[in-house]
Amino acid sequence: MKAKFWMTTLLASSVGLAALAHSGATGVMKERMDAMDEMGEAMKRLTPMMRGQTEYDPDVVRSAAETMIGHAGAQMTELFPEGSNGKPSEALDAIWEDWEEFAALAEALRTSAEGMKLAADNGLAGPGDMPGGGMMGSGQTMMGGNQGIMGTAQGMMGAPAQMMSTEMLAEMPVNAGFMAVTHTCSACHQKFRAEEN
Amino acid sequence: MRRLGRAVLLLGVIGFVGGAGVAVWPIGVKIPTDSLESVVGNVDRGAYLARASGCIACHSDFEAGGAPLAGGAPLVTDFGTFYPPNLTTDPDHGMGAWTISDFARAVRQGVSPEGDPYYPTFTYPFYAQFTDQDIADLWAAFKTVPAVSKPSPQHESSFPFDQRWGLKLWRAAYLSEPDTSPENGRSEAWNRGKWLVRGAAHCGACHTDRNFAGARIATRIFAGNDSLPGGKRAPSILPSDLKTGGWDVDNLVYALRTGITPEGDVFGGSMAEVVNYGTAFLSDADLTAMATYIMDNDLSGN
Repeated sequence: MKAKFWMTTLLASSVGLAALAHSGATGVMKERMDAMDEMGEAMKRLTPMMRGQTEYDPDVVRSAAETMIGHAGAQMTELFPEGSNGKPSEALDAIWEDWEEFAALAEALRTSAEGMKLAADNGLAGPGDMPGGGMMGSGQTMMGGNQGIMGTAQGMMGAPAQMMSTEMLAEMPVNAGFMAVTHTCSACHQKFRAEEN
Repeated sequence: MRRLGRAVLLLGVIGFVGGAGVAVWPIGVKIPTDSLESVVGNVDRGAYLARASGCIACHSDFEAGGAPLAGGAPLVTDFGTFYPPNLTTDPDHGMGAWTISDFARAVRQGVSPEGDPYYPTFTYPFYAQFTDQDIADLWAAFKTVPAVSKPSPQHESSFPFDQRWGLKLWRAAYLSEPDTSPENGRSEAWNRGKWLVRGAAHCGACHTDRNFAGARIATRIFAGNDSLPGGKRAPSILPSDLKTGGWDVDNLVYALRTGITPEGDVFGGSMAEVVNYGTAFLSDADLTAMATYIMDNDLSGN
């Protein structure tokens, strides 16, 4: 028993900081934390590539997308049975109070990750073409002229529900799929995850 | 219990000062309308500053399908529940009937057109150094917001925090102007970053501990806060802590743009709102300026 405890501790600490914050979790809680860590690792591999800092490799994109698809939709929601919150979980009660939206976001992860996967061979957009990818031209983030206070922002507001379909993303530079995935993560974390640190 | 303690203390202070006098004690400075009205505002600059200052993030409830600036999601604090009000051009429920000097006094001094102090959930102390040009730009931008005829809910706070004149004491004790002034020997970007981070973008509003009265503790600036509205927490953003956490100027700029952290995580909670409704819209130059200042300054937590 004791040996097992130390084994687990050792394992957890070797996987790094994220795992450390997750230590002490068991069962379904542990399973979903591991799933999140896996997706975090996938994001970590993707980010420098999407920024043009490392060489672009469509296979890395496809495998990262596979990781996310494998944890999306029902595979995600089944790891959140009612009552599976409380320490050390960062899951908020809002998940079960607003299950429909939670499930929709889990599904949005699948459609956006599938879009990114299909777009892998399209390659990256040119610098400044796409928010979050490449070098970020400042143009599109400034308020457009004569548009009033909301500027060009309108399209970015609100939940990612209005995000593009898998088919649309498949036709676009891969950054679009990557940003769609990111927005899904963000929307879900914003509403359903307790802030850490 | 904590709350009771605060109430007792506040009442004690009030008793000491002599409550009746405080109620009629005028606060803020009336701004002569002429000086501001002669400044020509730029809508685009104002809209950009409104983004940077978090006006849109806090005063809109997109989650609940609300229109931009028609009133924000409630902030649940130890002092009560506060509703960021409607800032649209509606004359009855928004700012449609305000003058630019009303607006200037509200933003820079935290005083309503009626002369009442605002609660410190409104981050006006960070905007105290806004120039007349900044105010005119903001005002020009706010005048483009479609009117939404929806009253803002009344704040829900219980005695003694529902006594707005008590806030005059709070102001006297805690209100100070932000340090946004440029420093010699620092780059232009660094000084621009300081202006944004310490002022408009008001990072310190969340990332600094507050005392029993809800005032930021100056010596704890950027060292994090474990008791934000709604029971949320904000980590330390002191340079040393950020560096330990794997942050640098480059990945901080990227995180403020996209929400993606160097750990491969994506921001949640209020920081997701800050990014999605605020910093994601700022220019590369400004995000770089902010990150430059945040990663290299003389602040240190005690």
